[in-house]
Amino acid sequence: MKYNLFYNKNSFFLFFVYFLAIIIGLLIFKDYGIHIEEKYHRLNGHYWLNYICKIFNFTELQIITENKISKIYDYTLSPVKYYNKWGAVFDVPVALLEILFKLENINQVYYLKHFISYLTFLLGSFFFFKILNQRYKNFNLSLLGLILYLTSPRIFGDSFLYKDILFLSFFSITLFFFIKSVKKFNYFNLIFFSFFSAICFNLKIFTILIPFLFLILLIIQNFYKKNFFNFFKKFLFYIFFFILFTYLLWPYLWSDPLKSFVELFTSVKIDLINVRILFFNEYVQNRFLPTHYIISWIFISSSIIQSFLFLLGFLYCCVRIIRRLLKIKETTIFNDLWRGENERIDFIISFIFISYFIFFIVFNAPFYNGWRLVYFFNFFIIFFGINFIYNNLIFFRNKKFFKSSILINSAFVILVINNLHSLISYHPFQSIYFNNFFNKKIINGFEGDYYGLSSKHFFEKILEIDKREKIKIGVACHTPLQRGLEAFPLHIQEKFQIIGQDYANADYVYKNNISEVNIKLNNKYEIPKNFSKIYEFNIKKLLVYEIYKVKF
Amino acid sequence: MRIFFYKSLIVVFLFLVAFHFSFNYVYKRVSSEFNDAFSKDKIESIKNKIRLEAKTAISKDVYINPEDAKIINKFLDKIKSDLKQNN
Repeated sequence: MKYNLFYNKNSFFLFFVYFLAIIIGLLIFKDYGIHIEEKYHRLNGHYWLNYICKIFNFTELQIITENKISKIYDYTLSPVKYYNKWGAVFDVPVALLEILFKLENINQVYYLKHFISYLTFLLGSFFFFKILNQRYKNFNLSLLGLILYLTSPRIFGDSFLYKDILFLSFFSITLFFFIKSVKKFNYFNLIFFSFFSAICFNLKIFTILIPFLFLILLIIQNFYKKNFFNFFKKFLFYIFFFILFTYLLWPYLWSDPLKSFVELFTSVKIDLINVRILFFNEYVQNRFLPTHYIISWIFISSSIIQSFLFLLGFLYCCVRIIRRLLKIKETTIFNDLWRGENERIDFIISFIFISYFIFFIVFNAPFYNGWRLVYFFNFFIIFFGINFIYNNLIFFRNKKFFKSSILINSAFVILVINNLHSLISYHPFQSIYFNNFFNKKIINGFEGDYYGLSSKHFFEKILEIDKREKIKIGVACHTPLQRGLEAFPLHIQEKFQIIGQDYANADYVYKNNISEVNIKLNNKYEIPKNFSKIYEFNIKKLLVYEIYKVKF
Repeated sequence: MRIFFYKSLIVVFLFLVAFHFSFNYVYKRVSSEFNDAFSKDKIESIKNKIRLEAKTAISKDVYINPEDAKIINKFLDKIKSDLKQNN
């Protein structure tokens, strides 16, 4: 039975999950530190809001934004006039809210952003649930998928830090309308699909693949159909609205749309970060990553059971597609690659996943900070995991080994409890989760706290052990530590002076394993011999950061 | 038409995979090794090694083996005389 949100008794459970998620979010959103890119995004928001105000002559707002921009300064901050291609679809509304709510404390601005980001994540998860329910027509299984989607440790941790999870959320909504548009190819669905595709494109330009994949899917579905002209007309309608929404949502394109659009792609090679990253205990260049980079990261930083379920579910779908491919006939009235609506959803999702995966490896996508740029793969991880459980359910039901409810309940208990345990034990550092299956040496051979979230914890620790009025902090890593200070009120910020690698003048040195250079060859981040380690912060097997103190 | 379309898709897919595991793989490997060999970090590490070696040399009473010193001296004399002859 298809689940109906408003007329089903199960609605209570769904509302309960979301109610609980919102309560938990409200209780914990302030626990997360300020991540190193928040300052840039705040600047980006005000920069584009200022630009919009100039165009529409909102003088008062323009003055306020100019004033805000002049106050956002950091010597390590990328100049926004040059790095202005990052989408403004989230940054501008938050900048506007900051002005409307007259938020003067910077940490309040960031916390507001964290909470809105979390709410967007919940919204995206609802569409994921709808896709699952449309596919499996089994409320319990869809609910399991939803909870796994919400409680995957890294995803949950990052849901407060927007950026990549924001994309995951809008990607889930886009896929929902993608599937809906393939099923019912009408103007209403296409408008929504084009709108959310445009938002996704605004956040990550590789969304440009989606219209192409949509076209291929439509061609496969509409072979030998007589209404070819109508189908093509509707596809052009989608493209037109996709371009229109992209243009409207992205002020960057307003002045010279074509040139700016082309520059989005041509500048990628120059603008993308070019650093060395710690991967399997080696400092490798992010432009020449091994093919297994994404898969290795997914396996090491996701629940191991979840990863295996994903792999098995994905293999099952691939085998079925290959078998269908081998049986293709020239003259059949039905589609060759799927039988029925459910298989079509599996095919669409497998097709999109395979296309993106190949796209990233063939074009040597320069990843960094783990797999966060492809956190939208979490959609596929959970989907294929649930697919595997579903297929087992059918298998066991047919063999009459035991009741299907036992299988779902067992999977529910094992997977969800495992995730919840990880969420609690890593709080508030879920975004640097590693699973316990691997040993300490392997885990610490990967980048840890790339967002610098531990800086809040570090400053609190220093305040606890040192009561002086002025404390000089050296930084033996690539983390711009000063940005983490914004989580504190001004009088505390003024206590600290961040002096980078000027170790000779430092009272304490902060060190984590994030480095843009190969520290095995380069001694840039080598702690001088007159410092001794006084504290190290570990979460499970992961060494998050160390504090060194100068010997007097 | 239908079979042609599917075959085209499969060919594109296989081409991309083959491209990645042949040309792309070799290109990545060579570029990576080239970059590693001439990277700033490598140069910095060589500089550090030279510095360390120089410091060690200074701290030792006798750095060059007397036997080697004689050979080097003779070698330098030989070069000097050859250079003079060709001047």
